[in-house]
Amino acid sequence: MQNIFDYFGSLGKSFNTVFIAKDRYIQLFTGLFNTLKITAGALFIGLIIGVIVAAVRSSYDKNLESLKLKGGIGYIVMSILNGICKVYLTIIRGTPVVVQLMIAYFVIFVSVKDGVPIGIFAFGINSGAYVAEIFRGGIMSIDNGQFEAGRSLGFNYVQTMWHIIIPQMFKAVLPTLCNEFIALLKETSVAGYVGVIDLTKAGNSIAGVTYNYFLPLLTVAAIYLVMVLILTSLVARLERRLRKSDH
Amino acid sequence: MTTKTDILIDVKNLQKSFGEIDVLKGINTQIKKGEVVVIIGPSGSGKSTFLRTLNLLEMPTGGKIFFEGVDITNPQTNINLHRQKMGMVFQQFNLFPHMTILKNMTIAPIKLLGKTKAQAESEAMDLLKKVGLQDRADAYPSQLSGGQKQRVAIVRALAMNPDVMLFDEPTSALDPEMVGEVLAVMKELAASGMTMVVVTHEMGFAKEVADRVLFIDEGVIMEEGTPKEVFENPKSPRLQDFLSKVLI
Repeated sequence: MQNIFDYFGSLGKSFNTVFIAKDRYIQLFTGLFNTLKITAGALFIGLIIGVIVAAVRSSYDKNLESLKLKGGIGYIVMSILNGICKVYLTIIRGTPVVVQLMIAYFVIFVSVKDGVPIGIFAFGINSGAYVAEIFRGGIMSIDNGQFEAGRSLGFNYVQTMWHIIIPQMFKAVLPTLCNEFIALLKETSVAGYVGVIDLTKAGNSIAGVTYNYFLPLLTVAAIYLVMVLILTSLVARLERRLRKSDH
Repeated sequence: MTTKTDILIDVKNLQKSFGEIDVLKGINTQIKKGEVVVIIGPSGSGKSTFLRTLNLLEMPTGGKIFFEGVDITNPQTNINLHRQKMGMVFQQFNLFPHMTILKNMTIAPIKLLGKTKAQAESEAMDLLKKVGLQDRADAYPSQLSGGQKQRVAIVRALAMNPDVMLFDEPTSALDPEMVGEVLAVMKELAASGMTMVVVTHEMGFAKEVADRVLFIDEGVIMEEGTPKEVFENPKSPRLQDFLSKVLI
């Protein structure tokens, strides 16, 4: 019995050292804020890159035959764009995100000292590759009849994509996309490599100065978990709303 | 004697190959305004491919198609504008599952013809009334039966006020008891003077409604004529053979 009291007593003391003393909890909030900033920014960039790359790749695949028939500049331009997208996907998916992040920070943007915009950039470029393939898979999974119905009404390629294919695609890929967002949120925990005080780095540095790893790291883990739970429930709600049309 | 303006679609030496396989080997025909042309033929004969080249869902590999006097096979032609005038109905309906019936019917008139929402919706409701589905306007396609879906698909195409309607085996995916309701709508449409090109296996419909029947086999129009000529006095052995198999 005495041991348990001792344990809780010391836990209270460590809590004080780890979070309250020297206002260390502020570091955690700063870290959390940076994690959120990087995740949200990267999410935004990733979605934009993802849509563009998926559009290029799937239009190339879908229209290859008619592009070849028509020949000329359109075919050449599409082939080049498709080639660029393929190289992008290969490099980004073939190398670790930490390495990409460090290359961005130490090689490409040497003069920028703030790691947060670099993090947004690097994680955005990285996420874009995965989002692009998710979107492309989604577009290819939509029955070609939907596409033909759109075109037969007189919609051009882009209008058909925008009004008919993408809304259906988005619904189909939402669970996978949610997965990618969760992965992105957690991947930003390596931002400390380029000097960003993110949530993980904040927890780790508190642990370093207080010699207490238990509390800060478990707290950090719990915060990630809560964020993922919130994200999952938001996506679940969105999915329910979009499911309105399948009865 | 038909004048030039009577011809809506003029098909000249149309060819289509998929890689090494020649599906259409030079099709020549003219479709006049108000004419109902029914295309029959064995499966794999190229009849659906022919229909789909008419609005360039399949890009021809040779020959020309003139629609209302314009060469739509010319890459300079903006095919999207001409497709607005060519309604198409598919075997698999291809309604947009994420939109209500009303939205399915109004999206193209609103986005492409610049109609107001109210105007497009009132026109869509009129069309839905004609096919007896006005009470389903707010339903989603998944809540409809096959026959209802196809009737919606027909009026969705009609909402664009097309000059010709192309039907690609419109009853082939339907349960037998639903074929009648769709054919009834098509008959009414034919009676209203709409130009129609119909690929179908419904020989009864061809006999009753067609002005002209095309028998396509091996990528060419092997025989054509009025339903009476084609069904009662087939000349080519292939057509005789085909009819002996489909007519009970």
